[in-house]
Amino acid sequence: MCVDDELLSTYLDGELDEPWKTQVSEHLQYCLACRLRLGQLKALHERLQSVALTTEEMAQSKDRVLAFFEETKFPTADQKRSFWRRKIEMKVAPAILTAAAFVIVVIGSFVFFSPNTPQGQEILPGVVAPIDSEHIRQVTDVSKPNLGMFSLEQIIQHLDSLGYSVKIEMKAVTPIE
Amino acid sequence: MEVQSNDERSFRLVYEEVFPILMRVVYHVTGNVDLSEEICQEAFIRFFDKQMSFPSLNDAKYWLIRVSKNLAINHVKRRSREMSMVEKLKKAPSPHANTTDGEKVLIEKETRKLVQEAIEELPEKFRMVIVLKEYSDMDYKQIAQVLNISESNVKVRVYRARKMLESILSQE
Ligand SMILES: [Zn+2]
Repeated sequence: MCVDDELLSTYLDGELDEPWKTQVSEHLQYCLACRLRLGQLKALHERLQSVALTTEEMAQSKDRVLAFFEETKFPTADQKRSFWRRKIEMKVAPAILTAAAFVIVVIGSFVFFSPNTPQGQEILPGVVAPIDSEHIRQVTDVSKPNLGMFSLEQIIQHLDSLGYSVKIEMKAVTPIE
Repeated sequence: MEVQSNDERSFRLVYEEVFPILMRVVYHVTGNVDLSEEICQEAFIRFFDKQMSFPSLNDAKYWLIRVSKNLAINHVKRRSREMSMVEKLKKAPSPHANTTDGEKVLIEKETRKLVQEAIEELPEKFRMVIVLKEYSDMDYKQIAQVLNISESNVKVRVYRARKMLESILSQE
């Protein structure tokens, strides 16, 4: 007796359980008709595979959809920074009000300026300070009289309004006698 | 490995693994690459926005296939309702062009068109099962889980879909 057509389809998918699997295998060895029928089912399977959408054909779609998520759903470096900044500002404010603080203001590394250039003047008006490095300004509100005119919050707001990326790092909060 | 759908790292892992499968499955249901891209994007947006956690990557995959399969089927239904008789006639296979240049490309395109149209002719419950079987790398058990039907039901539908495809394609 020949193998049921549906069993051959299941056999082709490797989904036939024992003992039927072995029985079908043995039958196929001596039955040409069943081998031919299995060949037809296999040919259909291969024809379907041959038209499958390829990795190359979907490459653009894959990039575009991922780009959509990168633009709209994942937090960008900028968003992370501003979140961090907001958190720090809230902590800084009371310290500034109560005691003089030693604060390092780090201007985003893409901004290169000296306080004496017009851009520097725009960012830190009236500040004439020795510069330790291109990106780090030391600011204490007692030793730099001109800067003392501004609170740290005002400076940050000012820089912010000019569109600069600003990081505030509290190295230490030391009351100054 | 637990998957948190709105965590960027998890998301990227799932995306890398599942997008190609999703895209292939949806394409062979709808027959249109641009539409498939839209549907896959929509499925991943839902995945991300729902902020779900899955016990494994496979569970996330099943969820995504289920959602995009439903989106694809809804779209196909809507489209076939909207499609007028005129458009249906336009869709009928055009006579072969007598090109010799790029004839191989043409034949490949025609082959795909024939097979794809045959798949689209299948009733939905057979189309979905055979597309998942041939294009998603899932076995009967996994397909059963995604479609929420029994394994033996998957087996029967795969077979019947094959019989129908043989019959449609033999008429060409
Ligand atoms: Zn036989």
